[in-house]
Amino acid sequence: MNRRRFPWLSYLVVVSGAVLTVVPFLDMVMTSFKGPGEAGTLPYRFLPKAFDLSNYRAAFDQLDLPVLFRNSVVATALITGSVLLTSSLAGYALAKLRFPGRDFVFRLVLSTMMFPPFLFFIPHFLILVHWPLAGGNDLLGRGGAGLTVSVVALAMPFLVNGFGIFLMRQFVIAIPDEVLEAARIDGAGEFTVWWRIVVPQTKPVVVTLGLLTFVDAWNEYIWALLVSTAEPEVMTLPVGIQLLQDHVDPTRTMPIVMAGLVLSVLPVLVLFLLLQKHYVRGIMLSGLK
Amino acid sequence: MVNALAPQTAERAAPSPPSAGPAVDGRRRGRRRQVVVAYLFLAPTLLFFAVFLFLPLGFALLLSMSRWAGFHLGDIDPVGLDNFAGLFADGSTFLTPVLTNTLLFALGTVVLALAGSVLVATCVDRLRFQGLWRTLYFLPIVTTVVAVGNVWKYMYEPGGLVNGVLNAAGLGSVAFLQDPDTALPSVVVVQAWASVGTAILVLTAGLKSIPESYYEAAALDGAGQVTVFLRITLPLLRPSLLFVCVTQFLTGLQSFALIIVMTKGGPGDATAVAALEMYRQAFSYGDWGTASAAAFVLFLVVLVVTLAQLWFFRRKGEDA
Repeated sequence: MNRRRFPWLSYLVVVSGAVLTVVPFLDMVMTSFKGPGEAGTLPYRFLPKAFDLSNYRAAFDQLDLPVLFRNSVVATALITGSVLLTSSLAGYALAKLRFPGRDFVFRLVLSTMMFPPFLFFIPHFLILVHWPLAGGNDLLGRGGAGLTVSVVALAMPFLVNGFGIFLMRQFVIAIPDEVLEAARIDGAGEFTVWWRIVVPQTKPVVVTLGLLTFVDAWNEYIWALLVSTAEPEVMTLPVGIQLLQDHVDPTRTMPIVMAGLVLSVLPVLVLFLLLQKHYVRGIMLSGLK
Repeated sequence: MVNALAPQTAERAAPSPPSAGPAVDGRRRGRRRQVVVAYLFLAPTLLFFAVFLFLPLGFALLLSMSRWAGFHLGDIDPVGLDNFAGLFADGSTFLTPVLTNTLLFALGTVVLALAGSVLVATCVDRLRFQGLWRTLYFLPIVTTVVAVGNVWKYMYEPGGLVNGVLNAAGLGSVAFLQDPDTALPSVVVVQAWASVGTAILVLTAGLKSIPESYYEAAALDGAGQVTVFLRITLPLLRPSLLFVCVTQFLTGLQSFALIIVMTKGGPGDATAVAALEMYRQAFSYGDWGTASAAAFVLFLVVLVVTLAQLWFFRRKGEDA
């Protein structure tokens, strides 16, 4: 297109779009510093009168932030670790090992991607409630609350990801067979081949998949809401903050809610800014979201 | 896209001749070991899918054809297709307003996100600092729905930013989320705002794949910018546009986290969508049968859209 003239109209469109995108974030940060009676009152003021940190202190008091943080971190770590491990192992097996039923298993993995998540909330919840020999249940899954009382419940339905396996397989396939064969002739077992060759060779895609999984797990809301309604001890950051905003007069506590939101959004935002290229590549590869 | 999904069927190994020495024996042992190792590596995955995919699907299907109030699994009472009939019976809110809201929500999101992303993507393509713009437009995507929903809910308040701007412009305040007429469009705006970054990314990639020589040829012919956009950019961008449309539409059909955070389906049923209705039937009213039936109806809608998309792309693929 015409690149010689200064594209002022394009700048106008892109900059105003960017302002629309960023202003809600700025409003969140500004409100988190506002004092009592300053937020949600007319006439509207964008900037706080003073940058007061008391809302952040209040967020720690009213939200039990350390516990929420711990639950979010544990669930996110479990999910990310498990998805990476299972995707890499299964991806390697499907790409490079020969065994009967390989095509069938691969098709099965692909088919898992077509089921929308909302189909599973109810049965997953019931399966965890009736998990045998957990949370006071007997062998047939009766009598107790099952796995729903444990932090593990937050992670359980997300531990394996069909898309992750597909993605890893596509990248493992690109590793030359000769490299793997050479290692085998040197006496390396399949596990060694996987750990010493496949894992290092697929490092970029591991970072991409890890980042996508981390962000999704950290931001997950609906499932965490279900689990922590049954057991408040396993509440995550998003659920805890939403609860505060639902149950107290919003105009009074809004600055505290915003402070909590800033703290909960910050880890992911920093990670995204540091590893942006990998994340963007992941979105392109998944094509969804 | 579809072809890339086809599993590799190449089984290169020719059957080895019988009794061809110790080397072949060793290789055959290696093969057998590979089978064991392969299933060992796949065991966690297969186990997971058995427990968290196939068992739940069966369970959900059973529930959708039963009456059950929760608690004891022994109390599940099969009722055939009654739950489905109930959803579409007179006086049921499922068809209107719930399914209608769902379609409006998905459609509204697609239209807004598409318009915004086409505008921004074509403009960004001519600017410097493309990485910076992309980063900014991407912020909502990595932000939890709880933050997005609450910030916007707060901005829609009478004393919030949006009304502040309206008042400053001399306009009266609008009760965005409290008025049944404005609640759904207000939520649609937020969903589109949150998803426009992905659309921009896809469209930018599509724009980059249009050969520069087309534009040069058009410039030589003296075509104006509008003509170039309508005659070259838009037609060649069609696959990307279609992709954005379909994926955003599918996401819109299934989304309800934002609505839970912002309106809980209210005021009244003004923002009640199908996935939320399923959730409420189960976890608020304890009607697991109706909830599961609603889930399958929505799944059917999603499936039809997905299949239509596959069919369309496959047909397109043949022309290319």
